Amino acid sequence: MHRYILKRIAFLIPTILGVTFIIYAVLNITPSSPGQAILGPSASPAAIEEFNHQVGYDQPFLTKYFNYVKNMVTKADFGISYFTKQSVFNEVWPRFMVTIKLSLSGVALAALIGVPLGILAAVKQYSLLDTIPSVLSFFIAAIPSFVLGMVLLLVFAQQLKILPSYGLDTWKHYIMPILAIAIPPAAQNMRFTKSSMLEAIRQDYVRTARAKGAPERTVIWKHALRNALMPVVTQIGMSLGLLICGSVVIEKMFTLPGIGSLIIDRINFKDEPIIIAGVILISICFTVVMLLVDIIYAFIDPRIKAKYSNAKG
Amino acid sequence: MKKRITAFLLTAVMLLGALAGCGGPANNSGDGSGDGGNGGDNTSRSLKIRKVNSLASTDYDVVTYTEDMSILSDNVFQGLYGMDEAGGGYCKLLAKDVAISEDGITYTITLVDATFQNGDAVKASDVKFSYDRAMATERFNYVTDMIDSVEVQDDKTVVFTLKYPYSAIDHTFFSIKITSEREITEAGASYGTTAHTAATGPYAISKYDPAGGLTLTAYDGYWGGAPAIKTVEYVLITEDSAAVIAYENGEIDFMNNAPTSDWEALVSASGDNNAVLKGNSIRTLYINYQSTTNNSILANDLVRQAICYAVDKNAINTVATSGLGTTSDEYILSDYVATAPEAKDFETYSYNPEKAKELLLQAGYTEADLAAGVSVGTLTTYGPATGEKAKAAQVVQANLKAVGLLCEIDVADSNINVPKLKAHDFDLGIYGDSGNYDFNNIRQQVLVDGGYCIVDLTGNPGELDYSKVESLLADGIAETDIAARKAIYTELWSMVADTATMHPYMNMPVAVVWSSALNPGDGAQSPTYYHLNTFSWK
Amino acid sequence: MENTTNTTAAVDNSEFSFKRASQAKEIWRRFRKSKGALIGLILLVIIVGVLLFAPLFISYDAAIESDFANVLAKPSKEHIFGMDGFGHDIFARIIYGGRTSLTIALIATITSCLFGSALGAIAGYFGGWVDSLIMRTLDIFMSVPDILFTMAVVVALGANAVNLIIALTLAYFSNYVRLVRSQVLTLSEQDYVEAARAGGSGNARIILKHIIPNAIGVIIVNVTLNVAKIIIYESTLSFLGLGMPPPQPEWGLMLSEAREFMRPAPHLLIFPAAAIVLCACSVNLVGDGLRDALDPHLKS
Repeated sequence: MHRYILKRIAFLIPTILGVTFIIYAVLNITPSSPGQAILGPSASPAAIEEFNHQVGYDQPFLTKYFNYVKNMVTKADFGISYFTKQSVFNEVWPRFMVTIKLSLSGVALAALIGVPLGILAAVKQYSLLDTIPSVLSFFIAAIPSFVLGMVLLLVFAQQLKILPSYGLDTWKHYIMPILAIAIPPAAQNMRFTKSSMLEAIRQDYVRTARAKGAPERTVIWKHALRNALMPVVTQIGMSLGLLICGSVVIEKMFTLPGIGSLIIDRINFKDEPIIIAGVILISICFTVVMLLVDIIYAFIDPRIKAKYSNAKG
Repeated sequence: MKKRITAFLLTAVMLLGALAGCGGPANNSGDGSGDGGNGGDNTSRSLKIRKVNSLASTDYDVVTYTEDMSILSDNVFQGLYGMDEAGGGYCKLLAKDVAISEDGITYTITLVDATFQNGDAVKASDVKFSYDRAMATERFNYVTDMIDSVEVQDDKTVVFTLKYPYSAIDHTFFSIKITSEREITEAGASYGTTAHTAATGPYAISKYDPAGGLTLTAYDGYWGGAPAIKTVEYVLITEDSAAVIAYENGEIDFMNNAPTSDWEALVSASGDNNAVLKGNSIRTLYINYQSTTNNSILANDLVRQAICYAVDKNAINTVATSGLGTTSDEYILSDYVATAPEAKDFETYSYNPEKAKELLLQAGYTEADLAAGVSVGTLTTYGPATGEKAKAAQVVQANLKAVGLLCEIDVADSNINVPKLKAHDFDLGIYGDSGNYDFNNIRQQVLVDGGYCIVDLTGNPGELDYSKVESLLADGIAETDIAARKAIYTELWSMVADTATMHPYMNMPVAVVWSSALNPGDGAQSPTYYHLNTFSWK
Repeated sequence: MENTTNTTAAVDNSEFSFKRASQAKEIWRRFRKSKGALIGLILLVIIVGVLLFAPLFISYDAAIESDFANVLAKPSKEHIFGMDGFGHDIFARIIYGGRTSLTIALIATITSCLFGSALGAIAGYFGGWVDSLIMRTLDIFMSVPDILFTMAVVVALGANAVNLIIALTLAYFSNYVRLVRSQVLTLSEQDYVEAARAGGSGNARIILKHIIPNAIGVIIVNVTLNVAKIIIYESTLSFLGLGMPPPQPEWGLMLSEAREFMRPAPHLLIFPAAAIVLCACSVNLVGDGLRDALDPHLKS
């Protein structure tokens, strides 16, 4: 088991390097001149060239990439923002924490709403407890999250006036964005849990348990649920991707100081250092969460456990 | 089996941890929202103002957005002169006395007894430092290049020597802000990236977050007297619809950039606490006669005139500002600036699509050409993709199409597209300029080395005699009599208007709303530079 | 990322084949039995029909030509969905915008499917280092959340239809790699593939003739469900200002332009939002129906 975990962790490093490379490469297809961006439109061409030379802009791509990673790893230095001329790390880090907070709360809420509803829907198939959430989740899957955000804004802030419309000052400020972020993945979790649960209920061991005369409650909760939840754990981890997507939109919608709104605002300025750093940080976080999910999964999936405790490798 | 339970617990802990994480900052600040905030003691209440874009820097010499300038100018940073739009024109601020020599070359200025927000006294050496700093910045050339030298006479007296008499010097004294030599030198490269106390105004920047808001705190040692409102928070709300709701819910107290798209809702929420001011920020359509697009089609005088006639200013006003703006033909408004020419005295191109078509036919294009559409290249502008300039660009595009001309639209941030305009690298362009100062500002637009010139008139488009433009400009700035200056500038602008290269189309409206608990001082009358120290709670 | 992310579990565990006409008939019979799927199919046919024959209803000019006297006009007899902020007819913009949105979604789905399936087939069939290389690279791609990756691509290349398709393809191809690879791994152990290999068929021939046709059902279900996702995702990108440039009609762009008017003129928001939801729902209904019809295990 430890070997498996170690192997997965060891694989993290090349993945993160690969991610950095891809992002860095994509955003260097049409790089803007840092000298022009930082010194401003009125700077002389000579000064711009001098500046670009100093920051190594005129070097070959691979050298630039190598230096970027070196500075990133050794000094947490992601360069200087073209817009504010400040250290990118100082700008990105606090906003990164906001996005993480929103996304993880969203994952938690989506799981807390989606999984129980999914289980209920499967256990009480064809009852109202199944059809209503199923139909709802079906529609939610077809609504873009910014439309959901607008609707929430109109209902809670404008009509009912019970929630604030921007910012993140108090706990009240978190309710609407987290709801808006969590609802689509909650619907996805619900659908997934339901089908996973339905499948589990039909498995042989559940039938056997029933045949043995075990009470229905024991059958459902002890036998079916445990097996059904295995893929659900992965699904919850995977929903983080959807959540980050929602988070970007909702941050923009509610003017929250997160990475998503930062990147969107800076796209207009072609503030590449900020965009690269933002995307890399979120991706690293995403990779780590996926790793955690894999490890948790390894604990619960007897197949992986068996593979790594008996055989070599 | 135990391990499996452990794993489930681990998941649960992870999820709970995440939930707890969002509960964390709940205690950080008090209840900032909700009930319109009318109850109780107002003296310690902070004034909340919406900000549309984040502030790029706390160094006034670096910011370029009008929104940022109207916050920082006079409230935080002060020049020798201030701007009093409500009262009309410039007023003395850090300058106590100004003595002008007979020949109009030497200005001897005595300073008021002011202190910087860090407590240091404002000295003549700080003035020299600030001017030297600005004069080293190319961006300020247009307001500083008439200055020959700035010399310290004594601690409180500074002497400006000009290269030539310059009747629009007030604007220079307003534009260059006085900052603390000591603090800026000590801060070095970090100046502008953090909160600081290097300015002299009634409010100091106490909290600055480049991607979030900005907090100003009253400087009680302010030489003009301690301001009534102690804390001003600028909160970033990028979405217009969210800003309207925030105002309705009492989450913000003042907006002088209120969204015009939902003005009715704001009016009904504000009771009488609203105003639409005729702004002095002007929008102009530029036509680059030197463009080589489509066999230099824009070099043809008739085509340029046709474009001007094709533009439906009222439609732009409706689409871009919900009809709250004012269509205009004047590059700088004659009702704001005494030296500005009046529209009745020069050639204007009012909306007339038939005439536009006629001119195009006259220019040699056939009905068939126009039915198929003749390309005039790209219309370049800047700002947000759903912003007022981008919308105006779409209207112009539709207007041109209606007379048989086709154009593409290129909208990007000002950092990207304004340099294109200034490099004369465009076909059609929309550019905004604030016209709250002397008509001499036109030199930015007609002098190639002025720094802001968008259409390079030195190629003598139309019948224009460029050397005459230069000499009129020199005459205008040397003349001190207002009426005489106005006559000179009228002649100058008539010549420019005849070239059909600059076509002013409208004045931006300034929509203001404020909280019923707030007395907004001159904020309800100043289109750009409001003074927070005139604000108070009721 | 290795071994475990079996996200398409609900879809790809079927072991059907799609070869014979009788089987197609059987699938159609099962599909028909589901009311939801039928409704979805009918809706979809209507939507596609309306979009295809758009010029019969209203001319393209109404979608892009401005009537400045009627800016933000409420729905009326002449303009059944009202007018937008530029005086464009919203009904026309929805129809022609739907053409743009759906075309982009379809092309992006097809390109991502072709690209992803090819990679998946290669990885699964050849195995060994080829498989490792492809799958490790894929892991890296999948570590960048779609939205951020798309944003990076659009920032680098600029916002227009072609770049949007490239970005969407890169964001969605990875699903197909995994899916097709796992199908190929299962199928290549089947007897008929072994037989073909023994009979001396080349690799390409085996993949194209034997493996792909057998995996096609699962792929079709995924393609259908992905079209809906891409429609929504595309509108999100437009909302963020990364989609199609105006004045071209496009659903996401319409919503983006509508948000400042969401209270004074809600019709700007409601109609395009409804169009997206209706379209995505009907595609999803068809997708779900197809899945159930192809994989009867799930239906009790």
